[in-house]
Amino acid sequence: MPSSDDSAALTPPVFPCGDDLVAAECADTRSAQALADHLRESGQWLECVAGIASCVARFDLATISPADAGERMLSALRTVPAALEAGKDVVEVPVCYGGDHGPDLDDVCALLGMDRDTFIERHTGEAYRVDMLGFTPGFAFIGGFDAAREVPRRPEPRVRLQPGSIGIAGGRTGIYTLPGPGGWQIVGRTPMRLFDAGAEQPFRLRAGMLVRFVAIGEEEFAAECAT
Amino acid sequence: MRNVTVRILKPGLQTTVQAGPRTGQRHLGVPASGAADPLSLALANRLVGNALLAPALETTLTGVSVRFERDGFAAVTGARAKVWLNGERVKRHRTLFAAEGDELEIGPAKAGARNYLAFAGGVDVDEVLDSASTYLPAGFGGFRGRALRAGDVLAVAPVEEAPERLKTPKDFRPPAGSSWALRACYGAEVDLLDKESRFDLFDTNFSVGRRADRMGLQLEGARFAVKSGGRLASAPVFPGTIQCPEDGRPFLLSIDAQTIGGYPRVAQVARADRHLIGQLRPGDHVRLLWRDIDSAREELLAKHVYWREWLPDISTII
Repeated sequence: MPSSDDSAALTPPVFPCGDDLVAAECADTRSAQALADHLRESGQWLECVAGIASCVARFDLATISPADAGERMLSALRTVPAALEAGKDVVEVPVCYGGDHGPDLDDVCALLGMDRDTFIERHTGEAYRVDMLGFTPGFAFIGGFDAAREVPRRPEPRVRLQPGSIGIAGGRTGIYTLPGPGGWQIVGRTPMRLFDAGAEQPFRLRAGMLVRFVAIGEEEFAAECAT
Repeated sequence: MRNVTVRILKPGLQTTVQAGPRTGQRHLGVPASGAADPLSLALANRLVGNALLAPALETTLTGVSVRFERDGFAAVTGARAKVWLNGERVKRHRTLFAAEGDELEIGPAKAGARNYLAFAGGVDVDEVLDSASTYLPAGFGGFRGRALRAGDVLAVAPVEEAPERLKTPKDFRPPAGSSWALRACYGAEVDLLDKESRFDLFDTNFSVGRRADRMGLQLEGARFAVKSGGRLASAPVFPGTIQCPEDGRPFLLSIDAQTIGGYPRVAQVARADRHLIGQLRPGDHVRLLWRDIDSAREELLAKHVYWREWLPDISTII
């Protein structure tokens, strides 16, 4: 019978996720992000990825033992600088709410007991922080929309979302950058291109940036798409 | 030598240009992509004198046929399949010469899922986000970001001289069958399985479900009780991660897998055996062999020692 105690060196908050993956528990997304950035800067890891409340690093198992990797992660936890405050620059993301662009807007409003205008006012009312990019290239998890904390994902994911679709789930706003399936409640769509593999800067948003949503009408949406 | 071009005659189910993985970009949401079976890609490239991860064609289940528009050299490795050059059977695992106008065909895979067709010089495509590999879900990399179609004409990078004619030594031809053993370590949330499920995970004859692609594969044959309550904080996942959603059916992530997942990570296929995931096909049998992380490392190093004799850069491949 295998035991789950893989190595004495890897004790919480640092634990193995596999033979070449080591994880650290983090208090929140911001500190997970700070740890991942800190690890990446050291140049000792193949991948450093932050989750909502953890950070996982992949190391070269051919040259580094799991115990050494655990030690390095522990020492990084001791030396990681405090999570940086988000920059002051705010990226404005135009959003056309509701209609064909936001088929779940009415359901979300009903769930929250507010009308459309109130929802849009709240969603555009403050700047939110990009917690992380992930899932697919450039997909942005944007935190801080506390009014929608109780909004669940859709029971059945939609099969084909348009790129730029703006989804809401569990107090977060997500921006889909690719066409494809998705389970968040879609409240609108941005004409802004947030990921372009061929561009010199493929990612418009990065973790830590501030984003403010700006409501636009159908005509403006069409005009922006045309440019 | 003049530049070689190759025309796709029959593209098969899903043939893409694949090279090495994208690394160091998962924090931006960029998956690995690249050859699903990088060991077979390396073996094909070795036979035509290329860098081991040079861009080549990866077929899926049904094979491919191509016509050489100039003289060139090629090699086929991977799944068990017949190969024809102008209708005559030729062997896998050796350097093949094709004259201008010759047609090379790889038949359907009889065991294993993917073949690699490498050309001396390597398929000439631009790198996107640091790799030539195709990532289909986002439509970038490889040949125009998509699977190949009949009539596509691929450029092959020029070579200074003809490659040495080689055969892969018999000891270095990975056999493709229908039963696979994958060494695996516990995943981060293995404790969300009850004790019995944890034992069963490594004592079940799984079969690969119909959902089996470059994103991942459904493992069928047993259901496991998970105690996550469906509310797990999204956490990083990697190729080789085995997730177990609330429906209790484990899902094995492959080379194109997303970077973040919300389901319990119950196991992680060991690095030494991740290349095998690319050869699994629906209906294949799979056993997970439990390893502690230190044994997994010893076995990886041993595998490197074995392969180094034929592939000196093996530690960059698996």
